[in-house]
Amino acid sequence: MESSELYHIKQQFTLGAYRALVKQDLPDESSPDYHALLLYKTRAFIALNEPASALELIPEGSENIAVKAVASLARYVAAAGSEQADAALEELRDLSVEIEGDDVEGSDKDKALVRVLAGTAFARAGEIEEALETVTVIVQIYLSINRPDLARKQFDRSKRWAEDDLLLQLIESTIGLVTGKDSYSNTSSFYTEQLGNPSLTSPHLLTARGVTRILRGEIQEAKSDLEESLEQQKGDTEAEAAYVVAAGLGALKRPEAEELWSKLAAEYPSHPYIQDVLQKADLFNQSAAAFTVPPLAAIVPI
Amino acid sequence: MSVMLTKFESKSNRVKGLAFHPSQPLLAASLHNGSIQLWNYRMGVLVDRFEEHEGPVRAIAIHPTRALLVSGGDDYKIKVWDIRPQNRRCLFTLHGHLDYVRTVQFHHEMPWILSCSDDQTIRIWNSTSRQCIAVLTGHSHYVMSAQFHPKEDLIVSASMDQTVRVWDISGLRKGSPNQGGPGSSGPNGSSNFETFDTFSTVKHVLEGHDRGVNWATFHPTLPLIISAGDDRVIKIWRMSETRAWEVDSCRGHFHNVLSALFHPKHELIVSCSEDKTIRVWDLAKRSAIQTFRREQDRFWILASHPNLNLFAAGHDSGLIVFKLERERPAFSVHQDSLYYVRDKYVRSYDFNTGADIGLLSVRKFGSPYVPPRTLSFNPAERAVILTINSDNGIYELSNLPQQAQGELKDSSVDGKKGNGQSAIFVARNRFAVLNKASQLIEVRDLSNSVVKSIKPPVQTNEIFYGGTACLILSSPTAVVLYDIQQQKTVAEISSPPVKYVVWSNDSSLVALMSKHTITIANKNFSQHSLIHETIRIKSGAWDDAGVFIYSTLNHVKYCLSQGDHGVICTLDNPVYLTRIKGKTAHCLDRSGRPRTITFDPTEYRFKLALLRNNYEEMLYIIKTSTLLGQSIIAYLQQKGFPEIALHFVQDTNTRFELAIECGNLDVAMETAKTINRPECWERLAQQALKQGNHKVVEKAYQQTKNFDKLSFLYLATGSQDKLTKMQKIADARGDPMSRFHNALYAGDVEGRISVLRDVGLHPLAYLTAKTNGLDDLANEILEAAGLTEADVDDVPTFPASTLKPPPIITPTTDLLWPSLSTGENFFDKALASGQLEGGVEPSYVNGDATAGHSALDAWAKEEELQDEISPEDGGWELDADGGEFQSAVEGEEGVAEVEEELGAGATPGPSETDLWVRNSPAAVDHVAAGSFETAMQLLNRQFGVVNFEPLRPLFLSIYRSSHVYLSPYASLPPLKLHVRRNAGETSPSRVLPVAARSLQSIRAELTDGYRLVSGNKLAEARDTFRSVLQALLLVVLSSDEEAKQWRDTVTAAREYLLGVLIELERRRVVEQEPDNVARNLELAAYFTQCQLQPPHLQIALRSAIGAFSKANNQAHAARFAKRLLELKPDPKIATQAKQRIAAGDRNPRNAVEISYDEFSPFEICAVTFTPIYKGSPSVHDPYTDAAYLPQFKGTLDPLTEVTEIGAPASGLPASW
Repeated sequence: MESSELYHIKQQFTLGAYRALVKQDLPDESSPDYHALLLYKTRAFIALNEPASALELIPEGSENIAVKAVASLARYVAAAGSEQADAALEELRDLSVEIEGDDVEGSDKDKALVRVLAGTAFARAGEIEEALETVTVIVQIYLSINRPDLARKQFDRSKRWAEDDLLLQLIESTIGLVTGKDSYSNTSSFYTEQLGNPSLTSPHLLTARGVTRILRGEIQEAKSDLEESLEQQKGDTEAEAAYVVAAGLGALKRPEAEELWSKLAAEYPSHPYIQDVLQKADLFNQSAAAFTVPPLAAIVPI
Repeated sequence: MSVMLTKFESKSNRVKGLAFHPSQPLLAASLHNGSIQLWNYRMGVLVDRFEEHEGPVRAIAIHPTRALLVSGGDDYKIKVWDIRPQNRRCLFTLHGHLDYVRTVQFHHEMPWILSCSDDQTIRIWNSTSRQCIAVLTGHSHYVMSAQFHPKEDLIVSASMDQTVRVWDISGLRKGSPNQGGPGSSGPNGSSNFETFDTFSTVKHVLEGHDRGVNWATFHPTLPLIISAGDDRVIKIWRMSETRAWEVDSCRGHFHNVLSALFHPKHELIVSCSEDKTIRVWDLAKRSAIQTFRREQDRFWILASHPNLNLFAAGHDSGLIVFKLERERPAFSVHQDSLYYVRDKYVRSYDFNTGADIGLLSVRKFGSPYVPPRTLSFNPAERAVILTINSDNGIYELSNLPQQAQGELKDSSVDGKKGNGQSAIFVARNRFAVLNKASQLIEVRDLSNSVVKSIKPPVQTNEIFYGGTACLILSSPTAVVLYDIQQQKTVAEISSPPVKYVVWSNDSSLVALMSKHTITIANKNFSQHSLIHETIRIKSGAWDDAGVFIYSTLNHVKYCLSQGDHGVICTLDNPVYLTRIKGKTAHCLDRSGRPRTITFDPTEYRFKLALLRNNYEEMLYIIKTSTLLGQSIIAYLQQKGFPEIALHFVQDTNTRFELAIECGNLDVAMETAKTINRPECWERLAQQALKQGNHKVVEKAYQQTKNFDKLSFLYLATGSQDKLTKMQKIADARGDPMSRFHNALYAGDVEGRISVLRDVGLHPLAYLTAKTNGLDDLANEILEAAGLTEADVDDVPTFPASTLKPPPIITPTTDLLWPSLSTGENFFDKALASGQLEGGVEPSYVNGDATAGHSALDAWAKEEELQDEISPEDGGWELDADGGEFQSAVEGEEGVAEVEEELGAGATPGPSETDLWVRNSPAAVDHVAAGSFETAMQLLNRQFGVVNFEPLRPLFLSIYRSSHVYLSPYASLPPLKLHVRRNAGETSPSRVLPVAARSLQSIRAELTDGYRLVSGNKLAEARDTFRSVLQALLLVVLSSDEEAKQWRDTVTAAREYLLGVLIELERRRVVEQEPDNVARNLELAAYFTQCQLQPPHLQIALRSAIGAFSKANNQAHAARFAKRLLELKPDPKIATQAKQRIAAGDRNPRNAVEISYDEFSPFEICAVTFTPIYKGSPSVHDPYTDAAYLPQFKGTLDPLTEVTEIGAPASGLPASW
């Protein structure tokens, strides 16, 4: 059994309460949980896109492969797009190979974590082939390539050995988000349930439920979820992006929606949502160009 | 009357006499071989045989009220029999006749027996005194038949002397004439006959037959007699007080006619003859209406049932029992009303109130002797279709009156007829008619004209309603569900010919009944179960709970949908079930009268509850009803519910058996104690061992004193002290073997040695001691044996033994293995806690439903618990979901491979957006999917859109609103999720994107535009209307109604936009070309021609009135004012308008000539703002249908600014 503190941290991490997580202090280095908590905390920093803080946290000269992998991932995220990123990716690749050998420091759990972290980086780098080797992220990757059937299969398999049923429930609900099974009822109740968890509040959960409600067509409810989420965590890209969608679906008046969109597009030009829409705008121009516009009908002076 | 309905047939020696039992389904037949048979014709079994006569028995009769049978034979004897099975015997024999006895009969009220004989006499016997009380003489040849009048003191007789005589026997009643008279016990000679004659006189002698007369009988109510003779004629006679005369003859038989009867209910005569026929005659017309012929057998005798529509005929090789008409009333049930036919009247019967009223006469429909066969009711039109078997099958469609009137209408007045054997309504205004001969099904409308002809796919004998637009076709070997619209077979079930079809109240199940089988099928015939009945099935109806109740000849039975069936109650006579409500069965009896049967539905309700796992209801039934007994226990056990059966059983032995079977050790233990027999304890021990409950095992072993096993059990459970105890017990028992065992198990070396010593095995004892290092003890043994070390130095020395029982790590004495879960079941809890009182009361059981739901709550809780612990089924519904997607991928992509190795090599599936594009022909859905190119092509094709730039914000905002992003897991790129229109839809072939803008919201924008018009903000209004028109290009529509609304909105927006543009142009003219008054006026006039809403039209008209009166065009101004008045404006405005009209009347002239003719219809070109009068050439906008002068074809529409004028367009796709 893991300690309650670790359990709590894990719950926070899984459900995306990163901000709350990183505010917690690490225990003494001699604590048996120290290692695991360190990993979660650094990963939370990375998730919050603050890789520098993560790197600060990581002690120098740790030989543990999981810690090394986290450091590599943090470096990769920090240096996204540059050549250093490739170096970090190489490190992760090496670590993935290393864990196949016997003479490495770290438990099986650590090795698995290396796979997860490497997979995360690979997925970010778009190297789906290699990412598939890691287990935990597979489901999401399947979903992102529109194979909910395979995701479901993977999920069913994991059910056999995985004990962490919270994580499983999350996966389940994620699959539900994509397939829309039973009007997203599973996903919706999952997030509602987790929101009801008194020991944990996370704007991320509110955002997730807001998104689910958008999918369920409950736009007004979604709006209130997202607004609450934004209140708790200002400037959360995801919540803001979802808010724009809700606005576009009638939660707000059209000019307001338009304004929100422009603001979002200006603030987070690299968010996939913005990228996608901008790309579509280009596509619009291309497609529209295929049609010749005749002159406007007008009285021609004789 | 086309068919004689044979109900029963037997094979035997020649049958000479027949008699029906008045109340039981029994028929007595006397045979030429001297035997008398008693048949149960309903069940088809021979009940009894009486064989005491020598030679043929011709005469037979059954007493109308007592269990007596009388017979008379060629042995001159008349015998009276008791036919009660427990008492069957010949009671007495009457001697007196001197020749064959031809007929016998009991009197209906006096204790008299009438007989006639070849000795030319008719005799009357007192069955109490067993004496002959009268001898009627007068016939001069064999007397072939003699019968009492059903009411009066008359006898009719027929004789070979060619006469029929009617005798008056009223004298007999006054006193017994033969007191001290001649003993009738012997043939006393003819002189005695004279003395009897004084008591009876010949009233009439009917002469007319040319040969001997075989039969004569009275009409039951009318003063009529029929006689049948060897002259092949049936004669009808009428009699009065004083005389009798021949009325007519029925000719047609071509051999001796042996018997003729009046039909007890109809004006018919039935006769039988040696020409091997039975014929039916119309009593009024004396014409033959039916002939039934046998190939080989001559008919000798006829009998009719005194109350029922049943006849029997005896022939050379047996007998037949038959009906002359169907008794099944034609009926149809609609909600709480029964529509049925009785005595050729269509009637309605209300199940709730019992109101039974006649609605329509069908007396002139088909043959008067034949009742209609089927009735199909159409509630929408309140019409019925009847079919009848006569005239080769005809049908008639008639309307029922709304209420019963005084004089009932006859259907012949306005009924619509046609030929067909089967006719039913298939829809509100359609019915189907089957013509069997031509094998054609015609679908007809209510005016009786054919709208469709169908050739059935199988030989069809009957058609039934098969659900909406479907027919059920009954063929000789199968029943077919047939879709009329698609003209194809939906499903087929092989079955014997189906005769009746009954749909359940919710139309989800259908019962298909044939003579001996019932097939219960669901509505598309995909599932069905079959019940077989040995007794003929008569009718059926559905219970509200979905149980099929049916009637056979002698039972009402139930049948559950899985095929389980059983008896509810027995019937004396068949009934035709019409409706089942709770514990009441509504039915029609054989005479077509509605009645009800109350029965106890507990048994099938219980089984149904069992089947549906409805435990509360079962429990309730157990508690409240008297449902007990072996049958239900056996049923439960057989169906695999021993634990439930346990609750019914009191008997200890059975309880033990059941408890063992369902693994309820507590109950088993308790009952075993009561029974206390070794085999019980053994079985209990076995079962407990299986479940790992070693405490029960221990107890059982102790009870049976099974020490060996007990010791081993203690070893297995690591129970040291118990083993020690066992050692002591063994010691006490003086069983050294057992002591040794226990010592071995307990690892007690000294104990072992002591046993060995005690039994004198000193060498072994010595060695044991030695090898276990107990040297002192070893020496002691040696000493005791009188030996020294030296004596045993030839014995090899063994190293110290290391053998010992394994150490006990966990003593399990007080622990039980996780025993096989028997699960504290619902019954245990509920029965133990006694909380049942007022549980959930099922609707039909007696008692008040007080609401104490504790039992239910307990159950519900248990159920929830189960949900949680079994994620495989229920809660997560994983597998079903996976499968669904699997197949979807297969279907869509053809990539069926399901990689066993997940991971590498997974190819991307079709994205949601691809599905959207594939699933919809609407441009807006393509936009939402981000497939702008196809969206543009669609818009171009559908509406002629060419200029997309203005639509750009719409495109992007719709796309933007159809996708949402979420990162469920740390650091991974967010998942792109797609917002669907209908969240409940998951099938890949039907998912569609969310409707970013609803038609409603666009209409709201249009209203904003109206407001701007009213507020005179025309430039803004123009932009708004244009934006509305553009937005309408990309809106989701889901019904015809919405499409119409959409079209209206487009038109309204177009008209307002046009109007606003005209007015803007007018203002420009006023401002920039103030001299161009004519143009100004024209535009003002055109503005009033736009289809605006009244308030806006008022503005247009008032502006026009102002402009025109200012230009001194008073006549025009007056016209506008008149139009204004028609809109009923404010009083103030109305007054002004009236003034304008007055001014126009005073000065009906126009100063400025303009191009405006309000009297010929025109459209306005939206470019030039000039009228295009009707008939002039014009081009139109493909989207808004705005009109333009022809020269503008191919240019961009100035209204929408996106479409090309005159471009070809396919219009709005109907995608819903």
